[in-house]
Amino acid sequence: MVGIIQMQDIFLSVAVIIVIASFVSLYRGIEGPGIFNRIIAVNVIGTKTIVLLVLIGFIYGRPDFFDIALVYAILNFIMTIAATRY
Amino acid sequence: MFDSIINIIVVLLLLIGLFFMLAGTIGFVRFPDFYSRMHATGKCDTLGEGLMLFALIIYETGYEGLFKGDLQHALFVSIKIILLILFILLANPTSTHAIAKAAHDVGLQPWKKTDETQWIYDQDSETDKIINGGELK
Repeated sequence: MVGIIQMQDIFLSVAVIIVIASFVSLYRGIEGPGIFNRIIAVNVIGTKTIVLLVLIGFIYGRPDFFDIALVYAILNFIMTIAATRY
Repeated sequence: MFDSIINIIVVLLLLIGLFFMLAGTIGFVRFPDFYSRMHATGKCDTLGEGLMLFALIIYETGYEGLFKGDLQHALFVSIKIILLILFILLANPTSTHAIAKAAHDVGLQPWKKTDETQWIYDQDSETDKIINGGELK
């Protein structure tokens, strides 16, 4: 522990900041001109979501979330490749 | 003593990763071009996510494993996160390259500083409607 602050509080605040950052990049996904900016926006939000899932697994002490994060990474990659193929 | 040192390292790595992730997000929103936006998001993916997951690995093996004594479970979780980092380091440059190549093949021109209009497209081509969503700009 760092003083009286638990590590879970630090993880929780980092997760909140990541959620705010993903909402900021959602602006480019909605507003941005063209399909390619939207594809990148989905890619970036997916990347932030992976870190968010691992942090949630640490906050609540449930290691099942790491498997979900792994599957989410694979799905994000396949989605990007399939979207840029056509 | 031992766990507080580990916690300080973990918090430092988390803050550096968070800085890279926020810088990537700001660059993604503020940059003028598609290609430069992709340059910003590459930093966000690789460095931000890598450092944050590495901090979580240190926390898991150091604090949960060595300090609390459940080493086998901690190593299991750490190997899972290491696999996650390796997959991300393989997949994210591949997807970035695929997006850039698709944009270049469709015909999206890079942003140039000399031109006052912020977007340079072929105004007559059909691909402009695909890229720009129908609104010529």
